[in-house]
Amino acid sequence: MKPNPSLDELLCSFMDGELSPRQRTEVQRMAAHDPQVARRLRQLQNGHTLLHALPVTPAPRDLLDQIKTSLERHTLLQPPVAAGRRAGVWHLAFRRFVSAAALIALVGVLGVVVYRIVAPVPPTGSAVVADAGLTGRLELRTARLGLAETYVALQIKESGLTSQIEPDGLSNSRVYRVGGTRDDVNRLIASLSKVWQHLEGATLEVEGRAGSTMPVVVEGVLPEQIVGIVAQGSAKASAQMAANYAVTNRVAMGMPGGEVRSLIQNDLSSVTLPRPAETKSGSYTPAPLGRAEVNLTIVVKGVR
Amino acid sequence: MRAASINIDDSVLVRQSQAGDAAAMERLILRYQNRIYNVILKMCGNADDAAELTQEAFVKVIESIDKFKGKSSFYTWLFRIAVNLTLNHCQRQARTATRSLDAEEPDQEGEPSQALRDFLSDDRVADPAVLAQSQELCELAKRSLLELEEPQRAVVVLRDIEGMDYAQIADVLSIELGTVRSRLSRARSNLRDILENMLK
Repeated sequence: MKPNPSLDELLCSFMDGELSPRQRTEVQRMAAHDPQVARRLRQLQNGHTLLHALPVTPAPRDLLDQIKTSLERHTLLQPPVAAGRRAGVWHLAFRRFVSAAALIALVGVLGVVVYRIVAPVPPTGSAVVADAGLTGRLELRTARLGLAETYVALQIKESGLTSQIEPDGLSNSRVYRVGGTRDDVNRLIASLSKVWQHLEGATLEVEGRAGSTMPVVVEGVLPEQIVGIVAQGSAKASAQMAANYAVTNRVAMGMPGGEVRSLIQNDLSSVTLPRPAETKSGSYTPAPLGRAEVNLTIVVKGVR
Repeated sequence: MRAASINIDDSVLVRQSQAGDAAAMERLILRYQNRIYNVILKMCGNADDAAELTQEAFVKVIESIDKFKGKSSFYTWLFRIAVNLTLNHCQRQARTATRSLDAEEPDQEGEPSQALRDFLSDDRVADPAVLAQSQELCELAKRSLLELEEPQRAVVVLRDIEGMDYAQIADVLSIELGTVRSRLSRARSNLRDILENMLK
């Protein structure tokens, strides 16, 4: 029987269950009375059965690891934000970023000095301009609470960032609220990186995800990742990057190949992150909390 | 239908993924990785390419999950991404059609056996269990699939291998329902011709 496209369409729809009851009855009647139609229906059904019988080939076992690796590569290769200060290429880029931050700080201080010389009237308020403000919470869990707490408090104090220390009602926690520019906060994070080797874990929560009131939670966050997140040009971009890290960290920690994560951790803990030398003016007035580019709550928590 | 029974859970997992829950995204990946890989493999015919395209599809899903608005099901959205990537890949690699399935099974060359003659005799409706155990017939089926034009191959793989209904195929391929109907019919007819030509 020569194939008839219209008949084939009808028969295919019949065997795929895509006809109305009336049409089905019609096709059944045709097949019962016309051997050619019955034969063609059998041919098409056999073709379908053959393909349906093909064995399912499972995906490679390391597919999740490959996805994780690919995702990290994509994250690192994202185009830089407009300000050109995205830190994301791990060690090298992070060092470059800190150097750039030091240079910016130096230029800033020089600018203030020059301004004071030439300006007849001193500025009346803070110069921090809030863009789409980034709000986050960084929880550092440590078995050596005293050491970590002292170190964090010292670094915050030396950073010159606006800060508040709040009791949280728990004897084994210390809560700091800091606010400042993205560069300032990143300098603080750089200075805090040494404390990571004494941590049992670190979690960053970032708000600002589009269409969601829930924060993005990045478990096992690393200082380099925080710097990358904070350095983004907007809260939305920061939240997006945090979401990417949330996935990669989760996959790295929970799936086969999680040992890679621990290797990365160990490697980072041995890196000495340079801190720019700051020259502070005695009358420097930091921005009040809430108006800064970044508002970060740092919780140092004792664990057993 | 396999897809329909898991869509409720999908929407919950998608919402959790959009809120930054990486475990939910992992569950979605684990749930669909074999089916996505299998469809891509049957479309491109090469295991390495299929693994890479599967990986690429999931990375794209993770990066775009915020943009998923739920206008279609996650299932068809995921397959749309995977199938589009595969079709683009096939177009770039014109050699796909003649590529053997070397990475998956040994090549079956030479005279087709009695199994194919029996299958094409049309005396009776084929037994799926018997077909599944005939390695030669399975190989011939895969080879004949690769000889179809990509649009026809896509529609027949989504229907006969993945088990989608016509509406889902139309959604995945962004084509009209009538186009699915006619393209599938032509694909099956062509597939039959290809198998018959193997006997000549």
